[in-house]
Amino acid sequence: MKRRDFFKTSIAASAAIVGSSLSAGVTTQPVDGRKISEVAFPEKIPMITYSDRPPLLESTRSAFTKSLTPNDEFFVRWHLPDIPTYIDPDAYTIKIDGLVDRELNISLKSLKHDFEQVEVTAVLQCGGNSRSAFHPVAGGIQWGSGAMGCAKWKGVRLSDILDRAGLKKDAKWIGFNGKEKAAYYESPNFIRELHLEELDDHVILAYEMNGEDLPYLNGYPLRLVIPGYYSDSWVKMMSHITVTNEYKSLFFMDTAYRIPDNDTESETPENRSKTTKPIAKMNVKSVIGYPLNGAKIAHNSQLVVRGVAFDSGLGIKDVLVSVDDGVTWESSLLDNSAGRYAFKAFRFSFKPSGYGKLNIMAKAVNRLGEEQPLAKDVLWNHGGYKYNGIDTVMVEVV
Amino acid sequence: MIKKLIVLTGLVSSTLFAQVKTDVEVPYISYEIKMGKGFDAVNANCLMCHSFGYIINQGPQSRKFWDEKINKMIVHFKAPIEKEAHETVLNYLYKHYGNGKLK
Repeated sequence: MKRRDFFKTSIAASAAIVGSSLSAGVTTQPVDGRKISEVAFPEKIPMITYSDRPPLLESTRSAFTKSLTPNDEFFVRWHLPDIPTYIDPDAYTIKIDGLVDRELNISLKSLKHDFEQVEVTAVLQCGGNSRSAFHPVAGGIQWGSGAMGCAKWKGVRLSDILDRAGLKKDAKWIGFNGKEKAAYYESPNFIRELHLEELDDHVILAYEMNGEDLPYLNGYPLRLVIPGYYSDSWVKMMSHITVTNEYKSLFFMDTAYRIPDNDTESETPENRSKTTKPIAKMNVKSVIGYPLNGAKIAHNSQLVVRGVAFDSGLGIKDVLVSVDDGVTWESSLLDNSAGRYAFKAFRFSFKPSGYGKLNIMAKAVNRLGEEQPLAKDVLWNHGGYKYNGIDTVMVEVV
Repeated sequence: MIKKLIVLTGLVSSTLFAQVKTDVEVPYISYEIKMGKGFDAVNANCLMCHSFGYIINQGPQSRKFWDEKINKMIVHFKAPIEKEAHETVLNYLYKHYGNGKLK
């Protein structure tokens, strides 16, 4: 990149942020309909592009009408600028060391042949998805609602790999490291640590996504899949697993991706919580994929609203739709589930009988009876994490 | 728990075949930059590690927020930002991407 490039006028400023004059701790619908970049990234269609280095790409609302999100529309979020751009699958290995009986270097080929192959369909969502809903503006990329997707992941159980290595008695923490690198060698690597108790048989090392190799930007050739958890621990381009008996202090664990440690997981800008905890599991949420905001709908023509709903894996029981600003709610039709960690696609058919502006709202309810709050009732936190307000799309009936 | 995972019967017989056989190139995107005093310092100290888009897409923020971000880069990411440059970058960010509030 040449320095003079910075002085060019914009060719693709895709996500201009507009200031907000709202008072402290107000939550609204996330920003919607941001401009799509004219430039496509490798293996992707043009997407909303917040940054090229590291790549930060958001899916558009229209991606969320079906239970699987296509690989070429799937969101991208890296933390460090230097991502390997060439990986030789024949030479790639993953190392397992630390408190194990046998240190292992497993090749991709061995992973695909010497272990039981399993599949799980699971939602991958950034903890900061929909962050633009929070005011005052919470720190971090001002995502709309497209920092999420659902894919069918295929790979090998982490527990099978750890069994092969043999965990020593005092093994407690598992550290995961991927191949992304910082510009300065002293910078911390993007390492995540999980407690052994958090790792059940659903956690896999995946090499396939929706029947294809993982796209480079989604972590080729191997990434961690932790169903039900936010994506911050789904380490990409996984190259190293280390087993330890004590927790190491790490920036990406101790400082980033944390929320107030209280019952409502909230705070105010003036009075920030002193204690924090990891964002961990996802809350119940739904997003409308069709129609889009501002769409013109013909009077009395049948409209089929489509969207997706999910939670941490407890299971979605119902997605309720309201077309009268939340006065009455009706159940939508849910698709046959691809499993409890997957997007549950919903559809709701009706004839708009009036004219003019019409709000369509969707509210997911899970098996525990947990349901999405109205956007205005989502409480503020400084990192803008875990927004799950009732999604609302405004159309015009003509 | 295990039953929720579909166990695939039979071994995968395909040879390793990457769908991308050559290196990938991540494109360069030009973000609109507000020119002004201090941009040279931003260029020299910030854009080594990340794009300008990463900065402006944080949204308008307080002087304290930007100060903490610069500190984060120094403390956690080990960016070699001198004290003078810290102040210059902070002034630039607050002026062009500030929300008018000190805190």
